[in-house]
Amino acid sequence: MALTIAVHSAKGGTGKTSIAVNLAIAYALDGRKVCLLDMDLRGPTLRTFFDDGSSEVPFWVNDLLSGKKGINEVVMDTGVDLGMAGKVSVAYSKADIFEIRELASKDRKWQSNALKNIITGKKELIRNGTEVIILDTGPGVEYESINAVAACDLVLIVHSSTKACSECTEQLVNGVYKSLNKKCAIVDNMHHCSLDDDTLDGMRYGFPVIAAIPCICDIAKRSGEILVLSDREHEFSRAICDIKDKLGRIL
Amino acid sequence: MIEKEIIEEILHNLKEINAKLDKIILNGNMPYPDEEINSSDSLDVMMLLSLPDHLRTTATTLFEIGPATAEDIAEVTRKERAVESNYLNQLVRMGHVEKYREGRKVYFHINNKLC
Repeated sequence: MALTIAVHSAKGGTGKTSIAVNLAIAYALDGRKVCLLDMDLRGPTLRTFFDDGSSEVPFWVNDLLSGKKGINEVVMDTGVDLGMAGKVSVAYSKADIFEIRELASKDRKWQSNALKNIITGKKELIRNGTEVIILDTGPGVEYESINAVAACDLVLIVHSSTKACSECTEQLVNGVYKSLNKKCAIVDNMHHCSLDDDTLDGMRYGFPVIAAIPCICDIAKRSGEILVLSDREHEFSRAICDIKDKLGRIL
Repeated sequence: MIEKEIIEEILHNLKEINAKLDKIILNGNMPYPDEEINSSDSLDVMMLLSLPDHLRTTATTLFEIGPATAEDIAEVTRKERAVESNYLNQLVRMGHVEKYREGRKVYFHINNKLC
């Protein structure tokens, strides 16, 4: 059965994109057909993991949301060599300030249609054999992010060890995830044991905490590198594979 | 047989009470009926979040599988068809959903008319 995961967090800089990219590759290394969509339209960074910005991108996620293009036209190959394993395709958002400014002025009617276009695109991908869809979102309650949450089967909540992140995450859990009746799992990223003491029996806010990735400078220094591919024995890579396995058990 | 009729009447009355309660919840203390106030509102995800739980479940399901009949929705939400029909018609009155007939079936879909 196909699976759509939205990687979301209350605050920025929690590591959503790194986790989304590495998780997508981890699924593909398992032989799965994966599609990774950049739903962080106000601060797109997904592309930095796959190319230096010089390659030709015919169409963008922006075109999908506005209804100008269908999902098959915006999805492209990542160019990542996975050998005999599965396949990862990707759809980028346009990192152009004029595009982002225009997006900020879109009305609710546009956003309503954008949600419909995401759901239609998701169904089309699944019809074409995609097994795992990963939506990398922007932080907080931005329209594009909450649309992605509404369209997913499971929200992977990336949480960092700060009081601000905890407070905002609790708001999102009660005001968005639970309201939309979503399955959720929490990943503590850049984790400091002493700062996350509200976890009870592996649960927080009623959802399982499935990983605690320690705060390691090496991960930050190697940002932009897909560690699951380049360094499979790295603590981060092993944590990602563990997340993948645990998600399988939740769903 | 008489018992069955009584149960049906009770069920009918409960549905009516439920519909009236929904109107009270949605209108709050506002003096106007919901259809006049919200008739031009697009059903975006933020509006979805502000709906009462039962209507949100119906609307979310319609986003996912629409256009759909009340029966299609009821299959997913595991509620009675009549209950979903009631909720869908409330969403229609609020302007969030439109309905159309195809043969004997009535289909509902998220309103996508330009306001």
